[in-house]
Amino acid sequence: MEYLSSDKVGIIDLATREIQEEDLDEELVKEKIGGAGITQALYNRFEDEDPVVLGAGLLCGTLVPASALGVMTAKSPVTGKMCHVPLTLDAGVELKYSGFDYIVIKGTASEPIYLWIHDGIADVEDAKDLWGKDVWASTDYVRETMGDDLIQVLAIGEAGESGSEIAQVCINYWASADRMGFGNLLGKKKVKLIALRGMGLLEIAEPEEMIDACQALLTEVKSGAFAGKKGIGELATAIGEEDLGDWIAPLVHRHSACFNTPFASNTFVFLDEDPSKVEESAVPEPGFLLTDIYGLLGLKGLGLSAADACGILKACAKSGVDPAAVAELCEKSQKKDPEEIKGSLLDLKGPVESVGQGPFSPWAPQKPLSKEFGLPEDGSEDSTWWMRRQGVAYIFGIHPIFALMSPALSEEKLIELANIGTDLDFAAETLDQVISEITG
Amino acid sequence: MGIKIDPLKCTACMACELACGYHRDDAFAFLSSCIVPYRAREKKNYFGVILKEEDSLVVARPEGLEINKIGEEQDPEKEADASAKPMLLREACDLCEDMEGGPMCIKFCPVDAISVD
Amino acid sequence: MNLYEEFKALNKRLIRGEAVPFFRAPGRKEDHRISPHDDRPLHYPRIGIYNGAGASHSWMWFVEIFDGMGFYDLVFLDERAVRTGGLEGLDVLAVSGGDTFAIAEALGREGARRLSAFIRGGGLYLGSCAGAYLPLHSSKAHLKEFNYVRAKISNLTAALPDARCLREKFCTPYGCSFVFHPVRETLELTPSGVIPFEGIGSFLAPLYGGPPMVPLDGVEVLATYSGFTDKTLFLVDKDTARNTVLHKAAAVRKTLGAGHLYLFGPHFEHPGFPIANQLLAEVIYWEAGRERPLGRTDEKGPQARTLLRNVKREVSNARIVAAGLETMPVQWKIGNKVYDPTKIRVFLEAVWKRLRRLERRKALRLVETQENRTVVSAARVASILRDMRRDMKGEGVSPQKAAELFRALNQTCTFFLESYFSAELERFMEEPLE
Repeated sequence: MEYLSSDKVGIIDLATREIQEEDLDEELVKEKIGGAGITQALYNRFEDEDPVVLGAGLLCGTLVPASALGVMTAKSPVTGKMCHVPLTLDAGVELKYSGFDYIVIKGTASEPIYLWIHDGIADVEDAKDLWGKDVWASTDYVRETMGDDLIQVLAIGEAGESGSEIAQVCINYWASADRMGFGNLLGKKKVKLIALRGMGLLEIAEPEEMIDACQALLTEVKSGAFAGKKGIGELATAIGEEDLGDWIAPLVHRHSACFNTPFASNTFVFLDEDPSKVEESAVPEPGFLLTDIYGLLGLKGLGLSAADACGILKACAKSGVDPAAVAELCEKSQKKDPEEIKGSLLDLKGPVESVGQGPFSPWAPQKPLSKEFGLPEDGSEDSTWWMRRQGVAYIFGIHPIFALMSPALSEEKLIELANIGTDLDFAAETLDQVISEITG
Repeated sequence: MGIKIDPLKCTACMACELACGYHRDDAFAFLSSCIVPYRAREKKNYFGVILKEEDSLVVARPEGLEINKIGEEQDPEKEADASAKPMLLREACDLCEDMEGGPMCIKFCPVDAISVD
Repeated sequence: MNLYEEFKALNKRLIRGEAVPFFRAPGRKEDHRISPHDDRPLHYPRIGIYNGAGASHSWMWFVEIFDGMGFYDLVFLDERAVRTGGLEGLDVLAVSGGDTFAIAEALGREGARRLSAFIRGGGLYLGSCAGAYLPLHSSKAHLKEFNYVRAKISNLTAALPDARCLREKFCTPYGCSFVFHPVRETLELTPSGVIPFEGIGSFLAPLYGGPPMVPLDGVEVLATYSGFTDKTLFLVDKDTARNTVLHKAAAVRKTLGAGHLYLFGPHFEHPGFPIANQLLAEVIYWEAGRERPLGRTDEKGPQARTLLRNVKREVSNARIVAAGLETMPVQWKIGNKVYDPTKIRVFLEAVWKRLRRLERRKALRLVETQENRTVVSAARVASILRDMRRDMKGEGVSPQKAAELFRALNQTCTFFLESYFSAELERFMEEPLE
């Protein structure tokens, strides 16, 4: 596979610690396109060995707007079904540039390990010094040991290690879109974390055409419904929760975006520092990055103050638990005291309704976020539409929330960009076929 | 004439870094870019943008602009940070003079945080 | 075909033992005879590159252009190799930039004796920047062992002018005086008309502290500094720069016994300057025409891919840390030379891009003279870099550690390049002619 690719699939056997490498078969790409299309195919190929497959969308890491998405595909230990967790922030793009297009992690390690994926080399490292550390300490440890602060880390905390069903795999220090208990899955496999870093280069089939097309698309995207808007508060408003923005406003520091994503959906709140401070804070851990709207909303629904809610979210991310599940369970058991909640994170048990039952994570709101999609107001078509739209996002590597905001990123346009980028002549029928395979 | 960065508009999305990397390598790559969002202080949410120019380094910090002339001594009291003498191996910004439509970073910034002076 | 590919094509003929008595250098209208007085055919040269104590990183530029032009028979020598007979069998010794005093001290009297014997026996000495200062007459300790070329330098003064910028690179103490560097970066040079510096107009070359020379007896001028360019960086006022540099010799030649020394103030070996590179290649062909049997035996390595991956692992680790270090302010003085951490990447990228090139080959041949030495050395580099990163966040990096790092980097490069060029030479010999 020549274009937009590192032309490498890594297969890691956790029991033997052996790594095999294969070229990325161009025929596979022509058939399954990329992202969840291919991770699913690889999952099926190695199904008997209970694999976890990492991959990036076909267009992830390019100048296509919102091309931020990586995917983690495995069988959820909670639902028993194969599903896909979207990897956002800078994890998707780092995976794309890590030197591997796809990584298959199969079997179970005999001792705790972590994976260090860098520039097309997959190293299995001993994690005995890491096991038992929380997510933040684990990420700090890897960045310090390997000597780089830009390493992207997919980590589990104590929750994942101890078999909690609501354990979440986190990205660096923050909550991810994992609502399927993948934290538990990695814990069972004794994989403490997966560290990613690469300084690769992706060739483009028609470079000038690609750049022109990306630029034209960005111009169109920028004039869309979310132009000039930033932050999780705006996202909340878009799903009908208008007062969330005001509720967190006194804590808000700055907003940031996932890779190349025009709408900055992540908001950092300062809990131990003056939020109006723009200089670097002297406090080492002054706050928390809000990346998950439903976790936040769930805790708000318990009647907590914004500061207490965000404090709990920070504790969730350190322990590596799904905050939406935590909020749901606390509501059921009438827990409202923040300290009590933080103290009980590892003991909370499901089942929870917020778990992802389908192939895609319910971390993304399950409806269009822009009227420009032209769907009926009564929401009768939302569910079918959303499923397809997420499928498109997970295949091409588009941010799953931004995909709900921007009709300009149409299927036709994405196919066109894929063709200019790879010269592989994808057709709409192929996309239909792959979507139907991954949505089941 | 030069690149002007509004650091408080920036969302650290790295589109500029990739766009400039494309300008240098005619492929998608980050390593040769002369404009780099500084994102190594993740827990503190402290981020800005660094730009390599011909004889100076522009550090667009959230609290204000800092320009370090390459070759001048830096304040030894100041903490080691995204300033003085980094990125010297990278080529200086040439405002994408060989490209139609001007600098790539400006074209691809999704929040219009970059402009030309 | 570009210039480098043309030289490569010529080298491919030479390595097969084809007798080429003259050649058409790229960009030239006429064929060159090796010498007006003999019909010696060209020979594929064995080129030594000095990268021992005192050498900075610019020896890598020689590596780049030789790799590009198909001069694969390369030997890397440290000071010990020079002192203990490593020069025997070489046609050329190239000495690039660095700390002249450190080079002289490291080579010592024995190194000087060996070097003299090498040149007098017919060898070709190419000295660039520090390598040009080395054999110029001097009364200073260590340097005085290398008094082969009678020429003065115009940038020596007891009354130092004001430096406008780059103070740390501006001057070096020399006894009670200073050697100062009025300009850096690209300058214009004009050839003097002495073969092979004839038949071409003015050309560009980069100066990074090398000498503007005033030749005395027996020294021929090959090119002079004829002008500044819009890329020239002035460290002093323009008048001082003009008076010190312009019309002084930028390249000179001296005959010594049966051999020659070619001294270059600017770095003719810098890969961004094709005409200067071409002149270097022509000098090599012109002077290094000794007959010598070619033949290096190397076994095919069955573990070549494993070796490659293991080297790549450690170089990737080092590169990742080094890229992160670029956003930290630090500068070290090692000996008389100021060092920038960005130079770390020069070494690492030189190895990295060749690793990637080898990775893409279907049939890979790569062996080490000593098992795992490249991997061990590269792992050491990664380890030192991580230590340094920690030090930078605390007290700061010691010059000793920085020196240790550059030694380890140098060693990693040397080990790898020896394997690499050995493999390239074999491949070159087996590849069919176009």
